[in-house]
Amino acid sequence: MYDGSMAGPLRKLLAAVAVCAVAAGAAWGTGETEQASEDVVLDFVSWQVDEPGAGDWWSEAIARFESEHPGVTVNFTKIARDSYVDQMTTLFVGGNGPDIVHLASFEYPQFAAEGWLEDLAPWAADAGLDLTGWAGQDKCWWEGEMNCIMLLYFGFTMVYHEGLLADAGLAVPTTWEQFVAAARALTVDTDGDGIIDRFGTSHHTVSGNQYLTEMLNYVVDTGAYWTDADGRAAMDTPQMIEALTHWKIVLTENLTPLNVGSGEARQMLAEGKVAMHFDGPWIWGIVRGAAPDVLAQLKFAPVPFNTPVGGSSNVIGMNSGIDDAHKQLVWDFIATITSQEFQEKYATVGGQPAPRPNAVPAGIYEAVPHFDLLVEATAAAAAAGVDRLPKGLETVFNEFASIVIEEMQRMVIDDLDPAAVAATLQQRTIELQNRR
Amino acid sequence: MLEHREEITAYALLAPALLISFAIIAYPVISAVDLSLQELRLTQVGRARRVWTPANYARLFADPEFWRAGWTTLRLVAVVVSGSLAVGLGTALVVNDRFVGRKAARIAVALPWAIPAVMAAVIWWWMFDSSFGVINWFLVKLGVVAAPVAWFNRPGTAFAAIAAIMIWKGYPFMSVMLLAGLQAIPTELYEASKADGAGRIAQFRYVTLPALRPVMGIALILIILWVFREFPIIWLITGGGPIGATRTLAVATYETGFKFLRIGEAASLGVITLVISFALSALLIRRVESDAR
Repeated sequence: MYDGSMAGPLRKLLAAVAVCAVAAGAAWGTGETEQASEDVVLDFVSWQVDEPGAGDWWSEAIARFESEHPGVTVNFTKIARDSYVDQMTTLFVGGNGPDIVHLASFEYPQFAAEGWLEDLAPWAADAGLDLTGWAGQDKCWWEGEMNCIMLLYFGFTMVYHEGLLADAGLAVPTTWEQFVAAARALTVDTDGDGIIDRFGTSHHTVSGNQYLTEMLNYVVDTGAYWTDADGRAAMDTPQMIEALTHWKIVLTENLTPLNVGSGEARQMLAEGKVAMHFDGPWIWGIVRGAAPDVLAQLKFAPVPFNTPVGGSSNVIGMNSGIDDAHKQLVWDFIATITSQEFQEKYATVGGQPAPRPNAVPAGIYEAVPHFDLLVEATAAAAAAGVDRLPKGLETVFNEFASIVIEEMQRMVIDDLDPAAVAATLQQRTIELQNRR
Repeated sequence: MLEHREEITAYALLAPALLISFAIIAYPVISAVDLSLQELRLTQVGRARRVWTPANYARLFADPEFWRAGWTTLRLVAVVVSGSLAVGLGTALVVNDRFVGRKAARIAVALPWAIPAVMAAVIWWWMFDSSFGVINWFLVKLGVVAAPVAWFNRPGTAFAAIAAIMIWKGYPFMSVMLLAGLQAIPTELYEASKADGAGRIAQFRYVTLPALRPVMGIALILIILWVFREFPIIWLITGGGPIGATRTLAVATYETGFKFLRIGEAASLGVITLVISFALSALLIRRVESDAR
């Protein structure tokens, strides 16, 4: 954990504290102190600590690991999602990165690029962990090293309000044209106070990387993507211009509420204020919490686009700066959560397909009735090679997202031609790539 | 000789406090300047040092976004400071008068200052919401606007909303400071001016305002510095958008350092903000001192 790079005064202070601690231990010489020195603590930081589903799964895995490793405790601490990457970066820069490293997949490359993550390929080989067919595992390779194991690779599905579509005489859309027509018909001011209070769809439209994920629905539908297969900017293709046109329609015609984050967008769906919503498997947790009358109306279907948004979600890794004994324990923990048993539990508790092939537990269809749809969406996204993290922009993704959001705001505010916006985006993306 | 010894003792007694103060102020400033002269990413801090270069400053000065952030900051300072002064002075004059419920009114005036910035940001964000916010509901009901205003989607309205929220958050401080100043004005001055035939407006102009100038100067300095460094309200509500309309130097510093990980460039932004704040404060302090003389 400590890599020896700490500043001089702090190092001296820690050394002094350590000397005092040793001296105190020697002076007291109690059995309790000796026992404490034998205990091992693994630091594990996550944003999912109290998340329904995922948090329960982690707690169960930690309990199992601790029962199999007497004297070892996992210190499971929460850092909020909003400030997660900032705080994790600060921890690693200060030489205090956690032993078990949990990251969103779009954050992972910048940690791998700094050499903070252990190459897990030898560990997997030694343990006989076969990662063939493991969903999204190819995203864990960085410059010849396998620095993580994929925890979730997903595909988007659509949740729609059956009653609203039926009342409007609309079938479940299966194309962009049908979708936008339905969204227009279902965006209404229900109480006549001059304010729209029910929307055709809902997207995260405030700042943050999630904005790009929402926009990606329309981008992959037209066959566009942020970069090409070689990682070069591909922001001014005809397909991208078409996608920008679609996104502009959704925003300028108020088919989605504006200035809401993903949390609010999902909550509005659960309150019956949104007719159609695209999201990953985790939306099931929100849908299940809807009031009974709304829950009865919320149904799942494939997204009405050519390809669903999909990709890697979050990964688990090992701090490369810790000692060998800690590394072995971290690997044991990873082995626990990647086992067939815990992968099946992941599907059951999380309500989403686990990355391990054939980790489909008995009774999953009672717990998650639309499980087949999730599997199909994941397979469709994987087959199309869709991922939220574009090749060639891995380490500057935050800045790329800021550029895209700013140009989208400019397109809407100044009513710009999507072709001109695409050209600007192309130029700015190339500048960003050249700047690194 | 005795005086000299007392002087030495006084300095010796003050020395620890002075040294600690110097360390608290000087160490972060020196660190920031040091970082600002290195082309460094956040992930590289604490590793091998880079050679000093003015590249970060050169890049900033050549970047139109930097000038835009500086201009936005200055506009926000001008609007928020004058708004806070106007509302703060008005409320201070009101709660300085005797009336039933004055104590409650004084508490109410000071309340926004006590509310944490994060909580205030969330409350106002919902109040300004284009679909479900109470402000749009009132404006539509009263017929002021035909359709709800998407406050945070247009540069002008986003800036106005942020400025209004910051005035709401900042005026209580001004009000409390000026109220203290008002209570320190001797009543004899008002009686004498009344005897000379001065009306309420003349009393305000020739007695109240001159007497308030020193405390007003100090309060203005503190409010200006607060606006310069204000981050949570802007970041939580607009994130600096739309299209950079509310991106102040403080927001740009955070974004550059912690979102884009360019810590060297962020440090240079911080140093420039510090220099501007220092210059403005120095000007105002000189003005306050000359008023006091």
